[in-house]
Amino acid sequence: MSERTRSLTFAGILVALATVLVVLVATSPSDVDRVESIGQRIKCPVCQGESIADSPSTMARDMMDLITERVDAGFSDQAIIDELLESYSGALLLDPPTGGATLLLWLAPLGALAVGVVVILWWRRHPREEADGEEATPSRKLAPMVVLGVAFVAIVVVATMALRDQPGPAAGVADLSAQDLSEVSNETMEAVIASNLDNPQIDGMRLALAERYFQSGDYKSAFPHYLAVAESDTASADEVVAALVRLGWMVWDGNAEAEAAINLFDQALEVDPGSSTAKYLKAEVLWCGLDDTTQAATLFQDVLADPNLSADARAQVETSLANINSGVGCR
Amino acid sequence: MRARNVRLAAYAVAVAAVGFAVVLASRFGSDPGLVDSPLLDKPAPEFALAPLEGGEPVALSDLRGQIVVLNFFASWCTECRKEHGALVSTADAFAGDGVAFVQVSYQESPPDSIAYLDVAGRSDAALYLADPGSRTAIAYGVFGIPETFFIDEGGLVVGKVIGESDAYTLGATIDAIQRGESPGQSVTGSTQQSPDG
Repeated sequence: MSERTRSLTFAGILVALATVLVVLVATSPSDVDRVESIGQRIKCPVCQGESIADSPSTMARDMMDLITERVDAGFSDQAIIDELLESYSGALLLDPPTGGATLLLWLAPLGALAVGVVVILWWRRHPREEADGEEATPSRKLAPMVVLGVAFVAIVVVATMALRDQPGPAAGVADLSAQDLSEVSNETMEAVIASNLDNPQIDGMRLALAERYFQSGDYKSAFPHYLAVAESDTASADEVVAALVRLGWMVWDGNAEAEAAINLFDQALEVDPGSSTAKYLKAEVLWCGLDDTTQAATLFQDVLADPNLSADARAQVETSLANINSGVGCR
Repeated sequence: MRARNVRLAAYAVAVAAVGFAVVLASRFGSDPGLVDSPLLDKPAPEFALAPLEGGEPVALSDLRGQIVVLNFFASWCTECRKEHGALVSTADAFAGDGVAFVQVSYQESPPDSIAYLDVAGRSDAALYLADPGSRTAIAYGVFGIPETFFIDEGGLVVGKVIGESDAYTLGATIDAIQRGESPGQSVTGSTQQSPDG
């Protein structure tokens, strides 16, 4: 090779390398291209099958702005996409992930191609066998059945995987609704009551909450709930009587207001004249608050006439009556 | 014989195609917004958002040690309007009980959100914050509203409700977190993606 030829060859190589370099630099993606490219891969979360690069929605624009910021800050494409997927999961990708059930979407065309190639090759190797009248071997007879069986099994497996990946019905938090009321805090019951003031079914929860407060000696918290049930148009007679009886007792026990208490017991007896609890508590207040032993004794006897009175209650009433009759003062 | 093989091959392809179609169809009904949040049992994304009416930004880290109920809302969202009373009553009920209610305006100008709250009502125990550029909504992977996240005292996302919450759901979820449980995600109703739908 002459010196001239070598020089020309070297110059040619240099020109070729320079050309490649220029082309590479010219075609390297700008930041704007990168933002657009990432945006095209991300599904707009508030749209239907549209990328955030194509969507005019405010959310998509906000996400594109975020991507622009990240690109300007020097983040790699994958780091930006990973950041979004950390919040949204793979559901945000327009192209399905190459794993799990969606792997089938990527493999299906290749599988179809492979099956096609196998079928063509098989035909080419046995072009006239059957046409010549040769009896097919048993294995060859079974081949189509095997193909069908494999296809069927594959379909069942993939369908099962796909269905299993679907989000199930409301779980977790919703399960709490099935919980016993005993696991529900007073605060939750207060919140439920406050947001269901017009719901007629709320009286029962009010009464349950008021009872909790009453049993813990918190009359102040119990009072408004008992009062609301007592004044409710939707509460049952039993609920109203229960509330009035508790109100009467709290007025007496908390404030020593005997007449107000008796008034509340009387209201309970108007609703349910047979209420032994109202009669018993009224008798106690008549005796202890107004020293009216005559009326108190009559009421105690009324209560004892109740065949449904529990043994403990009966013993308590009998003790009170015996004390009145023997002139012992109120406890 | 050859014709029979062709027929059998065609059957095989047809069965495979039908199976493939079944699989694809079975995915049709799955709303991407209903997938389990990848944030569950992970540290809650940090944020520092200014109140709608202005003032010093409130950071999530400022609320550490409390259970945080983080709700995304807007006046144009019908389900948000339905659940608002429950959010207010639950925030009131748990006031001073180690529970912080944070409502973040979603895709709406602060004046519009303020005008809505003026009518719908506020809880003195809740924070009402603006989210310019939807950065916090994006960080929490919000697909539509209402969405409510529950963050435990240690800063982990332990619950998420997609759709309208009622006072029982909110309160019972808080009760569960106070007992040390992770309630997880539940779907209580539909969400709205934009003012148009």
